[in-house]
Amino acid sequence: MTTVQSRQDTELMAHLLRRASFGATRAELERALDQGYEATVEELLNPRDCDELPYDLIRRYHIEQSTLRNQTGAKAQWIYRMATTRCPLLEKVTLFWHRVFATAATKLIQARPVANQLEMFRQYGMGSFRDLLLELSRDPAMLMWLDNMDNHRSSINENYGREILELFSMGVGNYTEQDIKECARAFTGWSVVNPDYMTIKMRNNTARPYGYMSWQFQYDAEDHDSGVKTFLGETGRFDGSDVVDIICKQEATPRFIARHLYHFFVADDVPVPQWPYTPPKDPEAIELMAQAYFESGYEIRAMLRTMFNSNFFKAEEARFARIKSPSEMVVGALRVAGGLDVPSPECYEAAKICSYMGQDLLNPPSVEGWYGGPDWINTGAYVERVNFASRILGDTEKPGVRALIDRIARSTGGADIPPERLVDACLEFVGPMSVEEETRQSLIDYAGRWREISWRGESDGRNAAIAALLQLMVTTQEYQLV
Amino acid sequence: MSTATGPKTFELEYVDTVGFAADQGGRGFHLPVAMAIRGDGRIYVASRSHAEALNIVGIQIVSLQHDFYGTIGGYGRGDGQMVSPTALALDSDDNLYLADDALQRITVYDREGRFLSKWGSSGAGDGEIDGPSGLAFDGDGNLLVVDHMNHRVQRFTREGRYLDQFGSFGNGDGQLNRPWGIAVSADDHIYVADWRNDRIQKFAPDGGFVARFGSSGDGDGQLNRPSGVAVDCDGNIYVTDWGNQRVQVLDRDGRSLTGLRGQATLSPWASEYLEANADELRARETYEPVYRVDTDDPHETSARIEPYFWDPVAVVLDAKGKLYVLETGRHRFQVYRRP
Repeated sequence: MTTVQSRQDTELMAHLLRRASFGATRAELERALDQGYEATVEELLNPRDCDELPYDLIRRYHIEQSTLRNQTGAKAQWIYRMATTRCPLLEKVTLFWHRVFATAATKLIQARPVANQLEMFRQYGMGSFRDLLLELSRDPAMLMWLDNMDNHRSSINENYGREILELFSMGVGNYTEQDIKECARAFTGWSVVNPDYMTIKMRNNTARPYGYMSWQFQYDAEDHDSGVKTFLGETGRFDGSDVVDIICKQEATPRFIARHLYHFFVADDVPVPQWPYTPPKDPEAIELMAQAYFESGYEIRAMLRTMFNSNFFKAEEARFARIKSPSEMVVGALRVAGGLDVPSPECYEAAKICSYMGQDLLNPPSVEGWYGGPDWINTGAYVERVNFASRILGDTEKPGVRALIDRIARSTGGADIPPERLVDACLEFVGPMSVEEETRQSLIDYAGRWREISWRGESDGRNAAIAALLQLMVTTQEYQLV
Repeated sequence: MSTATGPKTFELEYVDTVGFAADQGGRGFHLPVAMAIRGDGRIYVASRSHAEALNIVGIQIVSLQHDFYGTIGGYGRGDGQMVSPTALALDSDDNLYLADDALQRITVYDREGRFLSKWGSSGAGDGEIDGPSGLAFDGDGNLLVVDHMNHRVQRFTREGRYLDQFGSFGNGDGQLNRPWGIAVSADDHIYVADWRNDRIQKFAPDGGFVARFGSSGDGDGQLNRPSGVAVDCDGNIYVTDWGNQRVQVLDRDGRSLTGLRGQATLSPWASEYLEANADELRARETYEPVYRVDTDDPHETSARIEPYFWDPVAVVLDAKGKLYVLETGRHRFQVYRRP
């Protein structure tokens, strides 16, 4: 069914698909418009049948992606997955939790536990926050990352106890130093199988003799402090799961998570360390999402649903209000250009370039994750962004770019194409993207040089013209926004 | 074809493990994918490695006694080099044949490992290949090449002249879906690991369909993406059940005889490494290699349990009937024998 869509509908849907996905091709956008806004939100929120290429094929042909011990292979696999998945919000949510619960392979050495953690985010990331926080507390990569294998009944290590409160659930100002100690006590004995050997393998950074072993959670009852604890005003013989229950009940928890969601999906906020001193941009939005959290029994999906369907998300001022993260930039370009049938060397290259732009996937810079916003842009990163997008979208062999050229050629019926139409068609392809009138005029002036190009039949000239125009568009400030 | 469990009288006992993660070069293998054993016991193992360790791509030569003789070939597109090795076979003169599914060619080395020749052209026509994944010599000394992206087996002379072919895409009798390994029995029948159909197919010497064994699943006699196959002189069939991370042994009629999950021990190369790294050796004293895992995924289980097979890719019998199981994920092979 094809219906006539208003420009406002199209722009709103494109906004949703930039934020809840990585942008959309013309066909994806039209399909979503036919389906309607709320139905599209529901489809994004309820992912199924996600993988373009079955995992057995990836494992057979890309054996370093089968073992996932090597960081390069694991990063390339994630890029491939984001660029080809039929469930883009699931990958976006995975990226979101990777940023909040930042865990880095630089310390862990082997990439597999981090890849397994990402898989856990896919499984639990849109469900109950309680389940997610409990899984996080049992996650081997997190346990080793924040040294909980060194958190013993006889001598506590507060690292995880502190971060679960400060960075993973409530934020600074909502608990005391004593709460941190009690929290750490509750997580004593939460470790991995064979902790001594696994820790040494990690520190020695060696795959020998037979390759790394993946880690498994282990609860050591003898090493657990089962004494009475007082945590956030409640007293009992708490263990880690009780602590998670208590955290999830706090008013501060959904507000903190909602602020993260807002920062990631709606509009750039100040970095997390400044949150205790800077109120959120839109406190009402935070309250609406917090309300959805409690009403749904801590469901992240409900918070997302509230957010995507809200006026604060749909508002004009929310559009292009965020700076694209490197992964959004890279994956967005790969998706719109198309043609990524297998985890090809292009995925490895894209992962590398993503790190040059400032986002080394699987390796957030610290436990605070990437700050995002203006942090993504500096001179070096800008050049990388432009070079990458320009290379991908300037490749007229890519099926997506090819389809654009064919569509423009068809629409002209062989006649000359006014530069305004050429520019608008290309702007729609790369976004759809709105630009300042001055920028648009510059693009039109630039496109004017191809007035003489024939649009009848095959023509190298028209391919070069489209490629050059797309390459120019990705240099604009507007293209850096999402 | 029946997959019922037969009488459990068939046993295999563990003999030894050969290998070491040569991720930085030296003695050992790195992400090995294929092996072949010469009549005198010399063993060839092809390591595919990955993009960050291309200097390890090649064919390592070792013995069951843990001798390391060196490497044939290396990464590249020149004569004798390889990009993506997939399979090995030896002819009656002990010349070694290597399949490469990136270069779409067969490379031949002499008994000393010197480059002799190369042949093959990419495509789907008669004699053209797309993704050679398995090699075996038939009773007449001609080379059977599993042309897996064309879902068929092609037969060539040793010089690379096309003779004939069998198989086409599908899941019917005699049809194939991305087949992988291949073996020829003492009575010249051809066994193909029909990878994406989760079965082994048996063909007559001329390529006519004879039987199929196995069905999708993880029960006795069932298979999940079988990669390699070998057949002993009694007609028993050994399969690397790659997706289930195990070896399945079937009798000549496809009944399940036994299975192996792996029980690797430290090779002398591994022990020497640990002796040189006292902290690791000490920590290993309290380390439990096999424990109850909290996952149903056999691949993740193998990633956690070092003695288990991880991505068992090829299975080969030597002249004395010993069974060699090559594991991509753990850079080694395990050896078993009938008691």
